[in-house]
Amino acid sequence: MTAADPAPLRQRAAPPDTEQAGISLGRDAWRRLRRDPVAIVGAVLVLLFVAVAFLAPVLAPWGPTDTPGKDLVTPTNVPGPSTEHWLGLDNLGRDELSRVLHGARQSLVVGVVSLLFGAVTGSLVGLVAGSFGGRIDNLIMRLMDIMLAVPGLLFAIGLAALLGHSLTSVMIAVGTVNVPVFARLLRGSMLTQRSADYALAITSLGVRRRTLILRHVLPNSLSPVIVQGTLTLATAIIDAAGLAFLGLSGTDPGVPEWGRMLAETQRYLSSAPHLAIFPGVAIVLAALGFTLLGESLREALDPTYRR
Amino acid sequence: MRTTGSRRLRLLAIAGTATLLGTGLAACGDSSGSGEGDTFVFGASAEPKLLDGAFVSDGESLRIVRQIFEGLVTTAPGKTDVRPQLAKSWTTSADGRTWTFLLHEGVSFSDGTPMDAKAVCANFDRWYHFTGVRQSPSVSYYWTTVFGGFAQNEDASLPKSLYSSCTATGGLTAVIKLARPSAAFLSALTLPAFSIASPAALKKYKADEVSGAAGSPRFTGTFGTEHPVGTGPYLLRSWERGNQLVLERNETYWGNKAKTKNVVFKAIPDGGARLQSLQSGGIDGYDLVDPADVKTLKDKGFQLLDRPAFNVGYVGLNQSTPLLKNPKVRQAIIHAIDRERLVKNNYPEGTLVAKAFMPPGVFGYADDVPEYQYDPARAKELLTQAGVTSPKIEFWYPTDVSRPYLPDPAAVFQLVKGDLEKAGFTVTTKSAPWTPEYLDVVQSGKAQMYLLGWAADYGDPDNFIGTFFQKSMPEWGFNNPELTALLDRAEALTNRDRRIEAYQEANRKIMEFVPGVPFVHTQQALAFRTEVQGFVPSPVQNEDFATVSLSTK
Repeated sequence: MTAADPAPLRQRAAPPDTEQAGISLGRDAWRRLRRDPVAIVGAVLVLLFVAVAFLAPVLAPWGPTDTPGKDLVTPTNVPGPSTEHWLGLDNLGRDELSRVLHGARQSLVVGVVSLLFGAVTGSLVGLVAGSFGGRIDNLIMRLMDIMLAVPGLLFAIGLAALLGHSLTSVMIAVGTVNVPVFARLLRGSMLTQRSADYALAITSLGVRRRTLILRHVLPNSLSPVIVQGTLTLATAIIDAAGLAFLGLSGTDPGVPEWGRMLAETQRYLSSAPHLAIFPGVAIVLAALGFTLLGESLREALDPTYRR
Repeated sequence: MRTTGSRRLRLLAIAGTATLLGTGLAACGDSSGSGEGDTFVFGASAEPKLLDGAFVSDGESLRIVRQIFEGLVTTAPGKTDVRPQLAKSWTTSADGRTWTFLLHEGVSFSDGTPMDAKAVCANFDRWYHFTGVRQSPSVSYYWTTVFGGFAQNEDASLPKSLYSSCTATGGLTAVIKLARPSAAFLSALTLPAFSIASPAALKKYKADEVSGAAGSPRFTGTFGTEHPVGTGPYLLRSWERGNQLVLERNETYWGNKAKTKNVVFKAIPDGGARLQSLQSGGIDGYDLVDPADVKTLKDKGFQLLDRPAFNVGYVGLNQSTPLLKNPKVRQAIIHAIDRERLVKNNYPEGTLVAKAFMPPGVFGYADDVPEYQYDPARAKELLTQAGVTSPKIEFWYPTDVSRPYLPDPAAVFQLVKGDLEKAGFTVTTKSAPWTPEYLDVVQSGKAQMYLLGWAADYGDPDNFIGTFFQKSMPEWGFNNPELTALLDRAEALTNRDRRIEAYQEANRKIMEFVPGVPFVHTQQALAFRTEVQGFVPSPVQNEDFATVSLSTK
């Protein structure tokens, strides 16, 4: 799925300043995206998620640590959904809806930051490998292979445990897991671009290697990275929730975080299942949104998927 | 081809399932022994460590030691009052330093040797003469806690021993002399850690061969693993590590023989798994029921027995922190915390909200200690009076642990933190896994404010406020000579009424001083199938399995 990104795209994807007479790739992709119901569902979910994350303080009826139900809750009685509390209360009498909404912020921050960290670092590594080639390329890519050989979540758990309990270490851990993915992807796509005819033409015109790579090859190699980024956001959210579930996240247990909310309410699974269901559904919806959008983006940008 | 293949597979699957079921049934038949009602299977929360009371302090080991061995005295079923066990009666001299125990006649150990005054003294002398790694508080925890030191202390930090000598005057009279009067001594002897073992077996099975370091002792003898020999109603039949431990009725027991022939202890660390095992019939009962499961268990028709509250959960305040040295700030904190709500949200219904550092069941409890109602406005006012603006505090809670007094530490932490923030504190969250990090941080005095608790081992106020405040401790970070003197005097008093008064006085002093915020005395629930009868929960976990029976239809 990564290095095997197909050549036809590269042939059609001419540099931006030499636009073809027909419709451009971007416009073509947009046209197809608009007609794809899967993409629309994905986009709606993603937009919803981002909107909730930004507007949580406005949308949520209570603060994330407010305890409106403090006089109602006992260990054997955690009230479920009602007209006053749409998703019920949690084990400390906090409004579950407000917690889930505020949890979106945490997930978005963790997801985006770890994605950026992984994508930027990975792309830089891939860029270095792809532009120099030869021994440097070999060394870097073997290192990436070693990282890829360790299962992602396991790698992240080890790293997060090593770095200590904090949100930063979770973001670094989740991001690091994605470094080799982006590195391989960018390097692979740069290799194909470098051997393309237009690259040969530019080189024969006497353009320096640096200009060739930064101005022509790199921009043309980025579209699989963007697709991968969207897909990675989904796994980053799931990974971060997984780490939080295992107790590896920030030290403050009061901060609403979907994975931690799941872990904390495990004890109540039989008596108050709503405490596990709602954060679980939130994780699924957010991850689903990014996956659907990412997949349709890939289809739209990649002519081999064309119907 | 294909159909035959899949059919063959299906057949194989059926055969496999049948085999599994068959072995499962066979195993069931095997474990219930010679008929229904003969085996009681108990779900423990952990594997016992060793069956030699002198070397263990964990509840799971002591629970089993309690069935195989007996002490001079024990506690009354379901209470903390001292009752005779191997000793028929006892007297104490006027100065409280000489204790004379008269033993029951005709009692012998399960290896056939007689249980007499000589055997009793041999046990005390064994403990007193521990050397090397056996002197480490982590190995002989209860001896060092109750008696302090040994015949020859190898570590300068050990105090002089409370124990002085034991003489067998006549076959059944043992006279124990103490270095100083101690009224808590008798209560302490109810601990299974001080149960009497067969001196012959101790020697034969090399009980005292202990090597390794204090933190990781290695017991090379087989006394505590294969051949524990005491006078109790049960004998050890087998112990498969990682699976189960089986006790068998002692047919030559001197008292009322055990009602159930076999008791099986299965270690199931996860609370949810214990619940499921009870529901599926794998066990007949289990300890440490999660408060959140109480309703499920009741709905499914299981019986729940409560162990009377004999513990305290508290917020500790370390006065080596300049902010907390100010009594007004400590008062502000106790007024700021809504203890009623804390207990309501996190503990089973009917749990006691604490107002002192020991529960009402212990003598010396004072009902008229200074009380501090939940009052955030008053808290703010006290902070202003103290001249403190925007106080900052580091507050610790333990992870990876559930104790009776802290079933969910993170939940309690969040509520207390929220309350403090409402009163104007800026709280920094700190946490660490329970052992060893958290306990290290707290006990070495590095935590400014922390969640902790205490479950008592025997029914004496000395085991509560004596443990906390009799000497200056780094975790509290204060030195209050007046309080220390009061507690020293109270411990030495042998007149019970005057002791009670002294401890009541101490309790009032403590709550005037507010060294911390006690908030809960929890009762801990045990769950059983309805057929199980005769289990009496003890506040100090001194529970006799010999009285348990399984009714047959």
